[in-house]
Amino acid sequence: MANTVIGSSIVIDGEISGDEDLVIQGTVKGKISLKESLFVEGSGVVEADIETQNVEIAGRVTGNIVASDKVELKQDCRVVGDIKAPRILIADGASFKGNVDMDQKER
Amino acid sequence: MAIAKEVAGAAGNNTVVGPSILISGKLTGDEDLTVRGRVEGELTLSKTLIVETTGVVKANVAVRNAIVSGVVVGNINATESVELTREGRMVGDIHAPRVIIVDGASFRGRVDMGEVEPGRVPASRPVVTRPMVRPGAVTVPSRPAIPVARGRPTPPPPPPPAARPAAKPVPPPPPPATATSGAAGAAGRGEPAAPVPPVVGAGAKKKVVVKKKAR
Repeated sequence: MANTVIGSSIVIDGEISGDEDLVIQGTVKGKISLKESLFVEGSGVVEADIETQNVEIAGRVTGNIVASDKVELKQDCRVVGDIKAPRILIADGASFKGNVDMDQKER
Repeated sequence: MAIAKEVAGAAGNNTVVGPSILISGKLTGDEDLTVRGRVEGELTLSKTLIVETTGVVKANVAVRNAIVSGVVVGNINATESVELTREGRMVGDIHAPRVIIVDGASFRGRVDMGEVEPGRVPASRPVVTRPMVRPGAVTVPSRPAIPVARGRPTPPPPPPPAARPAAKPVPPPPPPATATSGAAGAAGRGEPAAPVPPVVGAGAKKKVVVKKKAR
């Protein structure tokens, strides 16, 4: 998994797009659109709308999430925003505020 | 490249922008950043930016060090150094105390290294010494004289041995050569030709052409 990593001291204000996995340990504001998986690690802070295939969140996310496959909220994450995905997992200990839409028909 | 490996190795988890990633906007940070994809907008780091061969940066860059093996369009402002490697392509201005542009790199723009010490520039320029052309070393015509001078003495010897029978059979050949050539009336050509050729002939063949480069 030697792909894109946004390190913990990095701040990006703008747009990220791409066709590969993205690991966020730092801060991203704006918009993220990927065709693969997004990992927001414990130190990661995202204030952005997210559009990907998979999302795994262990950090903080503020914004709407649209995933074509799966959204996973891990134990210590804090998420504010709407989630739309066919599969949504919320682990014990995760904090989440927003709407969930698992509607399969739209896919 | 040595610098690139050193820097990359020193940082355990540095930020990498993968080849298919596009970041547009403002990027700031306090760690090394390796770009294999695209970054557009503004890029500010307190450490090293490494643009790899697949990387494209269209941004105004403010960093400590920059190592460019990919493409950079925009200005780079570095507090330490900027290095354009063999694969590096850049359009924009560089402002850094140390700027390294390697053979093979392409660059268009201005370079500002700040104050340049006045004493350093002339000293570092090597003093070029070029071989001088030797004037008057052209006596080529004397060459053909050698076979003639040697060829002719050989026939004459037989008669002298007959004249001085058993006194000195071996030494005679040389003296007869001068004696006979002088006697044969070919002195004008034969005598000067014999001693001169070895020295002049060798020197005359080499012509050194010095071209001065216009600066």
